[in-house]
Order: sequence, then structure tokens, then C-alpha cells
Amino acid sequence: MEKNGKVTVLDPHGQPSGVFGRRLDAQSNPRAILDPVEQPSGELKPISMAARLSALDGKTVYLVETGFAGSFEFMQELQDWFAKKMPSVKTVIRHKRGTMFTDDPELWAEMKSNGADAAILGVGG
Amino acid sequence: MVTARFADFVERDARTRGTPLRFAYPPYPVMGMARDVLRRYIEGTDPITSQPLIREIIDGLTSPLSEKEKRSTPAPRKPRRPRLLPADTAENLYRQFVEDGWTDGLPIVLPTEERVAEMLMGTDHAPGEIVGRMCVQTHQERLEYTVEKVAAIAVMAGARPEHFPVILALAESQEPSLPSSTTSWGRMVVVNGPIRKEIDMNCGTAALSPFNLANSVIGRAWTLMSINFGDARAGENFMATFGHNLNYNNMCCGENEELSVFQPFHVQKGFRPDESVVSLFRGWNMLNFGLGSAKEMAHVISTFGSMGTSITFVVDPLVAKSLRAEGFKTKRDACKWIVENSHVPAGHYWEGQMQSGFARGLAQQGVEPFASWAKLPKDALITPRRSPDDVNVIVVGGETNPMWITTDFMHTRSVSVDKWRPKCGLRRDLKPLRMPAPLECKDGLCGIVEGAPAAAGKPSEERVTAD
Repeated sequence: MEKNGKVTVLDPHGQPSGVFGRRLDAQSNPRAILDPVEQPSGELKPISMAARLSALDGKTVYLVETGFAGSFEFMQELQDWFAKKMPSVKTVIRHKRGTMFTDDPELWAEMKSNGADAAILGVGG
Repeated sequence: MVTARFADFVERDARTRGTPLRFAYPPYPVMGMARDVLRRYIEGTDPITSQPLIREIIDGLTSPLSEKEKRSTPAPRKPRRPRLLPADTAENLYRQFVEDGWTDGLPIVLPTEERVAEMLMGTDHAPGEIVGRMCVQTHQERLEYTVEKVAAIAVMAGARPEHFPVILALAESQEPSLPSSTTSWGRMVVVNGPIRKEIDMNCGTAALSPFNLANSVIGRAWTLMSINFGDARAGENFMATFGHNLNYNNMCCGENEELSVFQPFHVQKGFRPDESVVSLFRGWNMLNFGLGSAKEMAHVISTFGSMGTSITFVVDPLVAKSLRAEGFKTKRDACKWIVENSHVPAGHYWEGQMQSGFARGLAQQGVEPFASWAKLPKDALITPRRSPDDVNVIVVGGETNPMWITTDFMHTRSVSVDKWRPKCGLRRDLKPLRMPAPLECKDGLCGIVEGAPAAAGKPSEERVTAD
């Protein structure tokens, strides 16, 4: 209603919900990135970082290629760098299943069971 | 590891989620770079920190966690927004809407309480009912919206209450018209069922051009809600390098069920013929001019570069009739034949950066069918589109030319409109607001007659019932 030349309008912006997007099904189709059916309904629970290694010598480092174009080639070059400059470090390249936006719990479990000490994920973007 | 171009993006994301992470940033881009360039990236410096990249990678795994890194604390919650903005002049409020990024840059109708109340008469649902949550970027907070918020958006877009049920169905989808991707997605809205005619959507001549109020305001409302409910901000969470001109209206149209010889799209998806439905599509590319038979359609998609495997043809009703005349009883029959006959030499496929950029790594990892395709001689034929379920046909247009549009759009969702309709019927204005309707040939005098080569299919009265 106009009053003294002024009007009142509704705020069109959405309200914060505390719910953040995340892929629930690791094998879901890429379209599920923004699919509400495949999104969590609960609030976000932050997780802590893992403790770091004291050194990489003698350790196994997984180079997880996330699926962005060029990532695999980058990881191959990184693997080559370790082989030449830090040969005591064992590196294993793995492709994360699904797309670059999907989780891959099977791979994380496999890495743990295979004795992975650390992982480098990339290359995003 | 994330390329330097996205350093702000990922660090903001980590902060928002309250989870500290360690990143190292090689230069951008990585895609398509020669091996020696990648090697120089690894042996060079991180453009963000100016530190040696390899040192950062090793330190990221070995330097002890700081006190701050040991704590993961949720980001502070944003306060709820007030229902109303402080009263001001219309001129100042319009400026606020533009300057705060709440519009698409075109003039809007200010959502006053009176206008929103009128819009709310377009449905029986309570203003406070929560319709859904939306975001434009994968990990972002999903903002919640009510029927009243959707009504405010509908007012802004220039819609009338009769359009509101369709706009609410779009909101119910919870899908944004602006999904954030550096690759710049475009989207399409197709309406099926009785509501197309009740609100006089254009399904015929020039349906994809700006000559119809319902097509225009419904398509626009989807983007305005994506901006405001999805909180889309260019460069911050909306990262499309070009953006997409379709984002203004999202190719909003109705399927021309009246002139189509095939089952309507919504019925293909399991809805009743008398149900009104909005169907949403997403993709990147369009070829706006295709002519010819199913063989030509197969040829076009075999060379149509795209990262995805989906195809959606938007065909004039004359094309649907031609396909029928070729012997395809259903859209799916045609799609199956087109998929099975769209071949490309393996060498051509792997030379294409767009298709192979993502597939090459998969092939090297042994992922099928890419691993097998990579072993083929260059002249061996492969079939990149693998399933007729990935191919859609939508019949649109006014029979002024037997043409088809090729898109790489995938169907993402179909939502029924009917739950949002008022029980007493659509809320129409006393004199409904309409743009001039396109002139359509109704008696064959324009030259489009039954039996002509381009219209040799069965007449539309003999529409099939199964697809």
C-alpha cells in the first residue's frame, strides 16, 4: 500500500535453511548434482582434518584423479616427478568413479585396505 | 589440488562448511595442456601463494595441523530475512532490486503486498507453505521458499494469477534454471496438457520467440527464482564462463499436442494425457536448423560435439508427420533408429577435445566403453549415443517449415501442475491479458495440405496412444 509516496514490497530472497548440497548416492547420474531428491535434508556436520604424516619416505600416496579433463595427465606427471625425485614414495593413480562431483566411498575403503598412507585429490577446475 | 582460477571458490566453500582443508593451486587451465606444460606446473610455483607447488603438496601431507586446522566449526548461520523490505519510493526500491542483484537486468514489477496477495489467488495453497529449497552450486546452502515467496517472484516476472500454478510447479521441481557450471548450461521448459491452452501458451508458430505472454513470464519467473532462491551470484557461485542466453527465458513453450502425430512428452513420462505437466531439460548446445529424414538426424547427432550423451530434438509437427511416414510408429521407435544409426569414426571421436577430454582419462583407466574405443583403428565406427532413452523428441512449431532443432539437452524432471491449481478453476482476469496470437493456417489455403510430401504422415486425429 502506498503511503506518503512510499510502498512496501516483499523480500524476494530465499531463507537460509542450514541444509547444504551433497551427493548422497555415489553412483547417481550427473544430473543429481542439483537434484533435490538426492540431497540431504539434515544440517551440515563439519568434519575434522586427518592427522598428517611426519614424512613421505616409504609411504604410499594415492593420486586420485577426480575426472576433470587433464587431471589424469597431471597425475601421471606428478607420479613421474615422485618416481624421479622421491623414489622412496610409492604412488598409485586411481580414477574416482562416477563424475568429478560424486563421492566414491568404495575407493576410500579400498585405499584404506590397501595400506594408503595419504591421498592427493585433483585437479579441480 | 585445484587450479588457481578456483582458489577463492573452494576456500569459501570450505569455510562455509566449517571444514578446514589444505589446497595447492597449479596454474589454470589443466585441460588440453601438453605434458611439458603440466610438468612445468608441477615444478613451478603456485600462482596464489608464490610458493613452489611441489613443496606445498608435500607440506600439505606432512606439516602438523595448526590449532585452527584441528578445529572444525560450523559457519555462523545467516539470519532469517524479514518478510517485507523497509518502505521506500518505487524508484528507490526498483534501484535496490537491480543493485542487489535480485533481477535479470530487465524491468520488473515490484512485488507489493497487494500484487502478491492477488497472485496468491492463483492457488489454494497457504502462503506460508514451504515449496522447496534451491541452490545453483553443488555444495552451497539451499535456500528455502514458500508459496508467498514464489508469488513475489511471479509478480516480478510480470505473470498473472492464471500463470501461477505452472510457476509453482517449476518451484516445486527445486531445480534452478541457472545450475552453476563453468561450461554454461542452458535450460528448456516444456509444458504439456490442458493448461497450455487454458493460459494460451504458444506451441505453434514462433513458440520460441518473444510473442506470447505466458511463454515469456513463466520462463522468466524460473530464472528470477533461481537468482533469488538459488542465491546466484556471477563469479562467486555462478561460474559459467560465457553464461547462456537461454537463461533469460529457458526456451519456455508448450508442446504442440494438437498437431503432433505422436504421444505427448508428458504421457511418455507416465502422466495422464489430461494432466498438466512442466518438463525440464538441461544442456549446452543448439543447432537451430535441421532438415530431412531420420537418416539426416542420425548424421547430425553423430557429429554433434557434446560432453553428454543426451539429445533432444525440437521438431516441427511436419517433421513428426514425416517420421511417421517413414514408418516410425512412436517417438521412441524413431529415437532408437537414430541412435543405432549415428556413427562416428573412432579417430574423429578421439580428436574431438570436447567429447574425448573427459573420456580419454576413463579409457586409460580401463573404463568401458571408452577403453575399447581407444583400441579401435581410426576408421572403425563407434556409436557415441548409446541408448534411445537418452534421446527425446518434442513437437513444437507452426508447420511453416519441416525443420528440427538439435540440442544436447537431457530431460531432468517433469512435475505435475495440477496440485497447484485452485479447485474452483484457474484464476483468470476479467479480460485476460494476451499478446496477439500467431496467425495459423486452419483451412489448408496456405498450401500445407494433407497428402503433400512434407505432411505425408497420418493426420493428427489418428494420434497413437502408446509410445
